[in-house]
Amino acid sequence: MVERFLAEADLPAVAAAWAREYRVLAPVREGAAVVYRVFSADMHPFLGRPPSSSAKEALLPQTENLFSYKYRKDQTDLTRTEVFLSEPVPPEPTLILGPRPCDARGRHLLDRVFLERGVIDPQYTAHRAATLFVSVACTRMENTCFCHWTGGAMDDETGSDVLLHPVTGGFVARAVTLAGEKLIASLPEASASVLEELAARKQSTPPLEPAPDLTGIAEAFLAKFEDLDFWTDQSARCLSCGVCTYLCPTCSCFNITDENSGMAGRRLRTWDTCMSALYSLEGSGHNPRPSRAHRLRNRVGHKFCYHPREFPDAAPSPSGLEFSCTGCGRCIKSCPVAVDIRSIVLDVLAAVADKAAEKTPEQPGQPEKVEAK
Amino acid sequence: MNAQSPYIPELATIIETFDETPDVKTFRVVLQDPAKMAAFRFEPGQVAQLSVFGTGESTFVICSPPTRMDYLQFSVMRVGELTHRLHTLKEGDPIGLRAPLGNHFPYQDMQGKDIVFVGGGLGLAPLRTLLLFMLDNRADYGNITLIYGGRTPEHLCFKDELKEWAGRGDMRVELTVDNPGESWTGRTGVVPAVLTELAVSPQNAVAVTCGPPIMIRFTLEALGKLGFTDEQIVTTLERRMKCGIGLCGRCNIGEKFVCVDGPVFTQAQLKGLPQEF
Repeated sequence: MVERFLAEADLPAVAAAWAREYRVLAPVREGAAVVYRVFSADMHPFLGRPPSSSAKEALLPQTENLFSYKYRKDQTDLTRTEVFLSEPVPPEPTLILGPRPCDARGRHLLDRVFLERGVIDPQYTAHRAATLFVSVACTRMENTCFCHWTGGAMDDETGSDVLLHPVTGGFVARAVTLAGEKLIASLPEASASVLEELAARKQSTPPLEPAPDLTGIAEAFLAKFEDLDFWTDQSARCLSCGVCTYLCPTCSCFNITDENSGMAGRRLRTWDTCMSALYSLEGSGHNPRPSRAHRLRNRVGHKFCYHPREFPDAAPSPSGLEFSCTGCGRCIKSCPVAVDIRSIVLDVLAAVADKAAEKTPEQPGQPEKVEAK
Repeated sequence: MNAQSPYIPELATIIETFDETPDVKTFRVVLQDPAKMAAFRFEPGQVAQLSVFGTGESTFVICSPPTRMDYLQFSVMRVGELTHRLHTLKEGDPIGLRAPLGNHFPYQDMQGKDIVFVGGGLGLAPLRTLLLFMLDNRADYGNITLIYGGRTPEHLCFKDELKEWAGRGDMRVELTVDNPGESWTGRTGVVPAVLTELAVSPQNAVAVTCGPPIMIRFTLEALGKLGFTDEQIVTTLERRMKCGIGLCGRCNIGEKFVCVDGPVFTQAQLKGLPQEF
């Protein structure tokens, strides 16, 4: 496959060319945030830092129409109404520019839910077929990044159509899929010097801190499930704001609500968050997850226990499990009270390991450890 | 289910409504397309999403049996926004229906066994489906007992049918109320106490229970003391649901989803799940 060069200065022109065929979602700076906006000619896409939000909005829009309805009164008997339903408009071909490899891998995890769980979601399927990912490889790990815990890497190509590798003055563009190859076909070939620079940078990147062994996390989580004191402690600071779930590339839970206007309206699907008390509150007033401890437990459990148990044969991370987490770190970075899913996972493992150590004294014959409490 | 999208309901019409209790109303509906109604199939215990367009959608058990397909029946307690709106609807009004959803009662495994229904309040709705199905296939099942209770005599659902079932001679009906009022001449007391008093035998029997959480808790205890194993106890769960097809996420218990893996579970199955009810 030919490696091509995309000059930073040409980004607006290249995006404009793509925009003739696609709705291009491009990252731009807005205050301190980097957000995706529909590309227009006056924009210069900003690829210098991971976008503040994940790329999932391209596949699972924050709000989308499931169908529209219209009531009509029967003119001969005004106490009678009829209702008519109409299907949503199919999605436009879309290109999202600027996701990171962790975001692109999120696409694959959304597939698990919407394409592989059972019922195939027709709207997700349409978005999936209509959307291309032009991702940007990372050159360093931020202190919230942990993609390598979950099987990712700074230059992982999974889920991307094109992967852009930053070099001086622009990017080496590598097509991952056939559709990606077409997208970059008109770019010039990368020169030997930029390819050398890229190779040299990769060579000189310091090795990552080794990922912890997460092999036993699903069982450890279940062993810790009923220790509500542990979860109360872990969630003590949580404000239930839900930003962790909204920015997550893999969180896919949604709400369904009606938006009514006179005799017509539409049924909408919107992002929802399991961190909200309303999420599981029943009409009777009963709530199976009544406290923040229950809700945080569910978020961590879904990502590191329920998902690997639901998809046991999935492509493995170093631990042999697929997690519903790509280690993008947005839930850590954007949490207003610094809840860190990494430390929760490690605390679960440590607590279970401590308990196991208590049960098996190191040397037989010696008195067993006396519990502190 | 709609062929284009599992989110788009079939259009249905309410053909009859009546009050069961001060806060429970029964709706009988048919699909607007007669061909679709004729082709509609479901199993006892499966649920439906009912839509009032402009208000939303909620999950209800189809409480009529698949052996009686003149209409689909739903009995709805007025508790929230959608159910308040549903209660204002009348005969002839259109609603949306997505069904059938979820699993069903394992009635095949119950053939030849004695069946003990233990219900409280509107928890009788899902039991009614299975009970009528069994009465329509009476020879396939052993003794059938219904133990059913309500807060007051007024709060008992399906009152006419309760009388009819008690008079059939091929099943036993034991009713109880918490607060008898003046005209009630039957039992007083909670359902689990009646269950214990009757000393129902677990021999070749299955207990099917549904009701408020507190009743379920003590019913499970009482059944255990009578010698019922966890495999012999079947229940059907409630959860807040939106999509009904295992995607929206909220009804999970561990990696299981009540809307597709349930709502019907044996007590043995429930014990194998993370305890988050």
